[in-house]
Amino acid sequence: MSKEADLVKKLQNPTLKDTAFSALLDAYQERLYWHIRKIVTTHENADDVLQNTFIRVYKSIQKFEGKSSLHTWMYRIAYNESIRFLEKNNKKRYDNIDEVPESHLEVLFEDTYFDGDEIQLKLQEIINGFTEKQQRVFQMKYFDDLSFRKISEILEVSESTLKSTYYTTVKIIEEKIFL
Amino acid sequence: MEKSTENNSNQNFLKEGFKGDISKHHKKYLGTEIPEGYFTKSKSSILNKIKEDIIIDVPKKTKKQLVFWMRPQFKYMAAAALVFILCLTVWLQSSNKTNVLEETNFELFAFSDTILIESLLVDESEIEAFTDATLFNEILVKAELSEQKLDNLVLDNLILEDSLLNNYIDYGLIETLVL
Repeated sequence: MSKEADLVKKLQNPTLKDTAFSALLDAYQERLYWHIRKIVTTHENADDVLQNTFIRVYKSIQKFEGKSSLHTWMYRIAYNESIRFLEKNNKKRYDNIDEVPESHLEVLFEDTYFDGDEIQLKLQEIINGFTEKQQRVFQMKYFDDLSFRKISEILEVSESTLKSTYYTTVKIIEEKIFL
Repeated sequence: MEKSTENNSNQNFLKEGFKGDISKHHKKYLGTEIPEGYFTKSKSSILNKIKEDIIIDVPKKTKKQLVFWMRPQFKYMAAAALVFILCLTVWLQSSNKTNVLEETNFELFAFSDTILIESLLVDESEIEAFTDATLFNEILVKAELSEQKLDNLVLDNLILEDSLLNNYIDYGLIETLVL
């Protein structure tokens, strides 16, 4: 039995669940944090979403059927939680007419845990200029080091589309940064 | 020379990909940071939140169980009782129908039996007289009546046809004579 399958079995066993969940946090917390952080931008937001993600994982682990890997399943939960968080935040913002929506870079500058130099800021700016789908594909592939197969399972997009999207974004970044 | 080295390092930027520490990788390329010891604190905070959630969920569950008709056992019992009542109704209806049929068949059978037995005890001369009378009434009289009706009909038609013919001949002759 693989390490992941063993962990799932323990997580679905009520007596071993808590111990196994602690191990799960050790294994995936950091990766999921960075995956979320790139979507919601600030550390504060990422912290909130990370907590919600793990609570959801804990509550719905019994429903996990193993159709995809545990890693992919958790990434999908984290992705959905992040999108839900952004939608909720946007709704709040638009409900208050006086408040002007902030750009990604404005939010980034407000974050105390951002200390980027010129080139890092430029990269953030270029990525922010991509479409929503391009951003996710590039970030998942380049920063989270996920395989195209896993990204395709998380975003429910074909692998060939993902590959062409990724190489397009890479080309754009290379052109904009180095020329 | 210097330019080509710079270009090479630039080209490697996107080909390097994810290696080793994911947090360092993000710091290096995106300038994003996290507070010191964040993941340890976050882990305990997530575990505490889950414990709190479980404590909140448990009383809710016990409260639900207090309502006896919402218990699954009661639901199954109610469903079983309903099915039993339905079956009983159907069975009673079908059993009543078969009794009626059996009774009718029995009566018919008894009736035909008594006729057969009684016919054996009747004298032959009586039967002959009965058959003669029946034959006379039913067949001969009816045949005679219908024959008479037929004769009358034929005679009427003949008389009618003759008078019409005579009329026509008379009028036809007078007209031809006049003209």
